[in-house]
Amino acid sequence: MKDNFPVIVFIGQPNCGKSTLFNSIAGYKAQTSNFPGTTVTHAHSEVMWKGQVYSIVDLPGTYSLTPSEPQEKVALTHIFKEKPDLIVNVIDASLLGRSLELTLELLELEYPMIVVLNMMDLAEKKGMSIRVEELEKKLGVPVVKTIAIHGLGTKELLDSVEKALISRKAPIAPRYAKEVEKRIQKLIEALPEDFPIIANKRFTAIKAIEAETMAADRFILESHKPLKSMIDSLRQEISDWREAPAYEVISAERHHLALKIFEECCQVRHARVNWVEELDNLIMHPIFGYFFLLLIFAGMFYLIFKIGSPLETWLLKPFESLRLSLQSHHNLLAELLNGLIQGIGGGIAIVFPYFIPLLLLMGFLEDLGYLARAGFLLDTFMHRIGLHGKSVPMFILGLGCNVPAIMATRILESKRDRIVTALLIPFVPCAARTTIILALVAFLLGPWWALGFYFFNLLLIAFLALVLKKFFKYSSPGLILEIPSLKLPSLKNIWQKTYFNLKEFVRFAWPILIGGSVILSFLSYIKFDRVFNTFLSPLVSGLLGLPSNLGVTLIFGFLRKELSLLMMFQALGVGYQQLLSVITRTQLLTFVAFVSFFIPCLSTLAIIWKELGRRIAFLSVALNLSVAILVSWLIRLLFSIL
Amino acid sequence: MFGRRVHHLISEIPTGSICTLLEIPQGKIFRIVEIKGGPGLHRRLLSLGFHRGDRVTLDREAIMQGPVLVRNLTADTKVALGRGIAQKILVEPIGDNEG
Ligand SMILES: Nc1nc2c(ncn2[C@@H]2O[C@H](COP(=O)(O)OP(=O)(O)OP(=O)(O)O)[C@@H](O)[C@H]2O)c(=O)[nH]1
Ligand SMILES: [Mg+2]
Repeated sequence: MKDNFPVIVFIGQPNCGKSTLFNSIAGYKAQTSNFPGTTVTHAHSEVMWKGQVYSIVDLPGTYSLTPSEPQEKVALTHIFKEKPDLIVNVIDASLLGRSLELTLELLELEYPMIVVLNMMDLAEKKGMSIRVEELEKKLGVPVVKTIAIHGLGTKELLDSVEKALISRKAPIAPRYAKEVEKRIQKLIEALPEDFPIIANKRFTAIKAIEAETMAADRFILESHKPLKSMIDSLRQEISDWREAPAYEVISAERHHLALKIFEECCQVRHARVNWVEELDNLIMHPIFGYFFLLLIFAGMFYLIFKIGSPLETWLLKPFESLRLSLQSHHNLLAELLNGLIQGIGGGIAIVFPYFIPLLLLMGFLEDLGYLARAGFLLDTFMHRIGLHGKSVPMFILGLGCNVPAIMATRILESKRDRIVTALLIPFVPCAARTTIILALVAFLLGPWWALGFYFFNLLLIAFLALVLKKFFKYSSPGLILEIPSLKLPSLKNIWQKTYFNLKEFVRFAWPILIGGSVILSFLSYIKFDRVFNTFLSPLVSGLLGLPSNLGVTLIFGFLRKELSLLMMFQALGVGYQQLLSVITRTQLLTFVAFVSFFIPCLSTLAIIWKELGRRIAFLSVALNLSVAILVSWLIRLLFSIL
Repeated sequence: MFGRRVHHLISEIPTGSICTLLEIPQGKIFRIVEIKGGPGLHRRLLSLGFHRGDRVTLDREAIMQGPVLVRNLTADTKVALGRGIAQKILVEPIGDNEG
C-alpha cells in the first residue's frame, strides 16, 4: 500500500468527523454516524491534488494513545508500525479543550503534523471563537478550520498538507512540570541501545512510565530487568510528588496544559439554549424517553410499510403481466425467462420499496445521535439479560445489515460481550429480512401480523440472551459511553450514505437474486429440484408441515435470506398476489419464521468467522438452526390448536 | 489505594462533604476529588477527559437502577456511566458562585 505516495493519516478522538472529512476528500467510502466508535477498521484512498497523489488513511477514533478498546489499537498500530509521512489530527472544535489532550500526546511523537478544527459550525453555535494563529503558535503546527459535513475547508486542508510535506517540519513535544521532566530525562538517558524505540526516545520514555500495570510493562520486565526497577522508582517519585499514580500525574499535566491553551486561544460567549437541547431533554427523559423510543421504531416501520406497499403494488404490475404472458409456454427458454423476471422483479419491486426508506430513516437516526441515547435508555434492561447499553447501537445497526453490526462489536471491551452480542445479532431482522416481513406478512396478512412478528422477534432475542447468560459467565465492567451532542442531520449526507449502502446491495445481492432465480427455474425444468426436495422433505413437510417444493429454496436461503422467500413463488408456481391460494396463513408464518432464523446468511457467517473464529461461527449456526426448528414448529403447533 | 488528598487542590476548594457521584442531587455542580477503582477503569476515565478537579453535574438517572448521565463541565461532554462506575468517582460540592 505504501507505494511512493506520501501517507497521510487522519487521527483524532471518536466522533470528531474524521470519516466525514475523509469522504469529503475521497468520495463516500467510509461509514459515518453520530456515534463514537463508528469506524472500527482503517479505510484508505489515493487522492490527487495539484498533480500530486496522496495516500489518505482514515483510522478509528481513539481517546488517547493508551488504548483500551480493540478498534483503538488499530489506530495505534497504524501510526507506530507504518510510520506515516504526515499526521492530520482532526478535532471536534466544539470540544476543543478536551480534544487537545490527544493533540498534546500526538505532538510527543514529533512527526510532521497538522491540526484540523472540524465542526466549526457547532463551535460557533456554542459561542466559541477560536483564534487560529494563537493556537498555531502554541502548538507549533499548522491549524486548519473545516466543516466536513458541508465539505468546507478541504481545499485549504490539502494546500496545508502539500506545504507540510515539503517542509517536513516536525513539532516540538510539549514540556511538563520540572518534577516530571526530570524523571523523563533520567529515563531517556538510561534507555539501553537495544531498547525498541517508538517514534523517539522521549516518547518511548513517557510511554514506558505510563505503562504501569499494562502489557508493555511486563515486556520491559522480561527483556530489560534492571531498567524495570529504575522505571518503578521513577514512577514512585512522580507519584509521591502529586500523590497519584504516575500515569495519572502525566495525564493531568496534559489536561492542565490543554486547558491552558484552550483558555488562551478561545473565548466562549454564553450560548443560547437551543431546540437541540430541548429535544435532548425530551428523548432522554426517564419516562417519556421510553415512550419516544417505542414511538420512533414503531413509527419507522409503519412509515416504511406505508411508503413501501403502494410502491410495491405499482412496481409489481409490469412483472406480473410479463409473467402471465409467459405462462402458456412450457419450453426451457420460457422457464428461464420466467426465472429471470421473477429475479429482477423480486430485486426491484419487492426489495427496493422497503429497503430504501429503511436505509434513509436509519441514516437519520444515526446522524441525529440517537444510537448512543438508546444505549443509555436501554442499559438497565440489557443488564438484566446479561449485556449492557453499549450493545444496543449494534442491535439497531443490525436492523440495517448484520455484517457491519458484527464488526461494530469491536468497540465492546470484553470478549465475552463481543461473543454474546455477535451470537444474537443474526436474530435481528436486517433490512432484507424486514423487506420480506413487510412484503409478505404485512402485505398479505396485514400490518398487525408483521408488528406481532417483530414483537415476538424482540422477545426471542431477550430470551436467547438469558439462555446465553447461563453459558457465558456474566461479569459486567459497567457502562462507559460518551453521548455525542445531538446534531441536525444533513440530508445530503444521509442520501450519500443510503446510496452507498444501496450500491453494495445491488452489487452483491442482485447477481445472487437473479442468478439464483434462473438456476432454480433451470433445476425445476430438468426436475432436479426434486432431489433436494426429497432430501429435505422430513424437515420441510414432516416437521414444519410445508409443501415439500419449498425444500430447494432453503439451499438458496443460505446465500441470502430474502432469496428463499422470493423463490417461494417460483417453487410453488404462483404469482405474488395468489400466494395465499396455495398455502395457508400458518404455513406462511412458519416458513417466514424458519427462514428468518435458520442460519446466518453467508456474509454474516463469514464476518463472524473472521471476527471471532471458527468455533463461534459454528456455534452461531447451531444456535440459529435449533432456534429456527423450535420456533417454527411451535408456530405450527400453536396455530393448529387455535 | 491512592486515598490521600491532593494538596494543591485543597487550597481552592471550600470544605464540603465528599460523596460519590451517585449521591449528589441532579443539576448541582460538584468537583471531582478522586477516582477510585483499578488502573484499567482509571485510565479509561482519564482518556475520556475525567480528571481530578473537573466540574461535573449529574444530568439524569435512568429508571430501575439504570446508568447515570454525567455532564463534565470542564470538558463540556456528556458520558453515560453505569452505577458501579459512578460510585467510584468521589466528588465534593463547590460554591454556588461558580459555574
Ligand atoms: N455539524 C457538523 N457535523 C459534522 C461535521 N463533520 C462531521 N459531522 C457529523 O458528525 C458525526 C460523526 O462523524 P464521523 O465522520 O462518523 O466521525 P469519526 O471521527 O469518523 O468517528 P469515529 O469513526 O467513531 O471515530 C456524523 O454524524 C457527521 O455527520 C461538521 O463539520 N459539522
Ligand atoms: Mg470514522
